[in-house]
Amino acid sequence: MGAFFTNPLIVKEMRERFRSKKSIWILALYLLVMGALLFGYLYLEQMNSLSVPGEEREVFVVMAVVQYAMFCFVAPALSAGTISGERERQTLNILLTTQLSPFKIVTSKLVTSLAYIFLLVVASVPLYSLLFLYGGISPSQLLTMVVFFAVNILFFGSLGLFCSTWIRRTGVSTIIAYGLAFFFVVGTGIIVLFLAQLIEEISPPGVHPFDYLGMQILCSLNPVFVMFSILGVDPGDDLRLFMDPWLFFVIACCFLSAVLVIWSGYLLKPVRRSWLGWKKR
Amino acid sequence: MIRTEHLTKQYGKLEALTDLNLEIEQGKVFGFIGPNGAGKSTTMLILATLLAPTSGKAYVAGYDVEKEPKAVRQSLGYMPDFFGVYDNLKATEYLDFYASAYNIPAAKRKSLIADLLELVNLSNKADAYVDSLSRGMKQRLGLARCLVHSPDVLILDEPASGLDPRARIEMREILKQLRSMGKTILISSHILPELAELCDQIGVIEKGRLIACGDVDEVSVGTRGISVMQLKVLSRQEQAEAILSQSPYVRRLDNKSSHFRFHFTGTEEDKAELLSRLIAEGIPVVHFGDSNENLEDVFLAITEGVGN
Ligand SMILES: Nc1ncnc2c1ncn2[C@@H]1O[C@H](COP(=O)(O)OP(=O)(O)OP(=O)(O)O)[C@@H](O)[C@H]1O
Ligand SMILES: [Mg+2]
Repeated sequence: MGAFFTNPLIVKEMRERFRSKKSIWILALYLLVMGALLFGYLYLEQMNSLSVPGEEREVFVVMAVVQYAMFCFVAPALSAGTISGERERQTLNILLTTQLSPFKIVTSKLVTSLAYIFLLVVASVPLYSLLFLYGGISPSQLLTMVVFFAVNILFFGSLGLFCSTWIRRTGVSTIIAYGLAFFFVVGTGIIVLFLAQLIEEISPPGVHPFDYLGMQILCSLNPVFVMFSILGVDPGDDLRLFMDPWLFFVIACCFLSAVLVIWSGYLLKPVRRSWLGWKKR
Repeated sequence: MIRTEHLTKQYGKLEALTDLNLEIEQGKVFGFIGPNGAGKSTTMLILATLLAPTSGKAYVAGYDVEKEPKAVRQSLGYMPDFFGVYDNLKATEYLDFYASAYNIPAAKRKSLIADLLELVNLSNKADAYVDSLSRGMKQRLGLARCLVHSPDVLILDEPASGLDPRARIEMREILKQLRSMGKTILISSHILPELAELCDQIGVIEKGRLIACGDVDEVSVGTRGISVMQLKVLSRQEQAEAILSQSPYVRRLDNKSSHFRFHFTGTEEDKAELLSRLIAEGIPVVHFGDSNENLEDVFLAITEGVGN
């Protein structure tokens, strides 16, 4: 934690970020949207039926889905501008001539953009505590959910960071980060469903598409499937992987994030020396 | 302090830098002159460890820029031709950030920053937000930033670009102060008279090649056998012009009523002979000599013809 407050880039980013009005507005807007959704939903529920607190898992699912969508939206946007933003402001070259290593620059940038998202999460805790009143969810489920969200944020952040290092302009990098995030969330799901259909068509009766290990793995990489499996809402076929799907997902996400961050650090190096002794170009 | 050996850089097919050999000794101020696209910024980027040369070697303070970039960065202050600042920081915080990026302990930073702001005459703006500063102030703050880790070598890419005459003079005074502190400075500029006063040595670069290099006077007296001369007469301009244009050594004769300016390709003896001919014809000469107040002419004379 000490390193956190003495890391020059983190201190600078925090100063900059929390001084700008934009950050405050994003926070306010986020809380407003989440609050409006929650209260609106509860209000409608009260109108429609005589619901009893303690049996409302539905509210939780809706909240979780909405919040997940928010993170998909916010995380890449916040990190997709970090490196390319420095480049556009023409401060990146100066930064690279200091004693900060490229790897330290990318990790500090990631930490600061994620810190802001975690602030959003913390700010929405009161809303969640309201949900506890309605219950319908076990503490262990909630904990798993938190871990699940955390690795997703980490992954989306790394994805944005990578695009930001790789592509010169913030606008393009944000669009590509969104594209990749969309593919990760929706694209993999569509591929799974498509393959399931296909296998069902061509394989003899009695064989289940999810008997194949590949399908299981693919399915466990899709955050929507995993989220529903955590929430215990059956997506049709329950997953029978060699480990808990969410655990597999967490490991895979962490691995991919690490690859992306290291790769970004490598891309950011102004002068890359080849390891193999021969020179490019 | 700065040395390059056969430094070459290609951008695809374009050769931006060809076999550049430079040697700048400790404590010297080296002026880098050349037209747009000559390769000045490219050289500086390579020296600042931000660009890999295609071939050749470059050393700053004895360290190889490719093999020991960390050591090079520690002994080098680099100011790019264009650079941005962080908008939401105050001047002191801005410098504090870079000081900590060079691992300077927090306890030392406060007095260091005050000294630096003093040096660049920005003490009264210490608490101002960086984006509220004027262009000239930002430029000076940028210079202060180069100095946070007290490097021995400074590489300044057009530090006076976009500044008004007053700000330029201020910048020049600061650079003189740095020179007296014994820093080795490599500076590029388009405004040549400025360099003449400041620099010990000048290198002229054109199309990626160093075409002249040496002490300020040496270069201006014509490493390529060209010097720029001035002639002022009281009357009889026509005869004077006729004599000048007859001389085989005079080129690019430029006549502003009684004030002539021309490129002279001959030796010192030829100059003396030309003058005695003018006198012999009875032309009232008030001034005859090298035009050294305007380095721009020298620059044009030297770079002339190299491009085509
Ligand atoms: N990133 C790049 N990609 C391709 N070509 C480049 C790049 N940077 C510079 N060049 C080319 O290299 C040559 C030298 O450029 P450089 O910026 O070093 O010139 P300069 O002497 O600094 O010019 P100026 O006085 O305008 O600043 C130019 O012809 C330029 O077009
Ligand atoms: Mg330049």
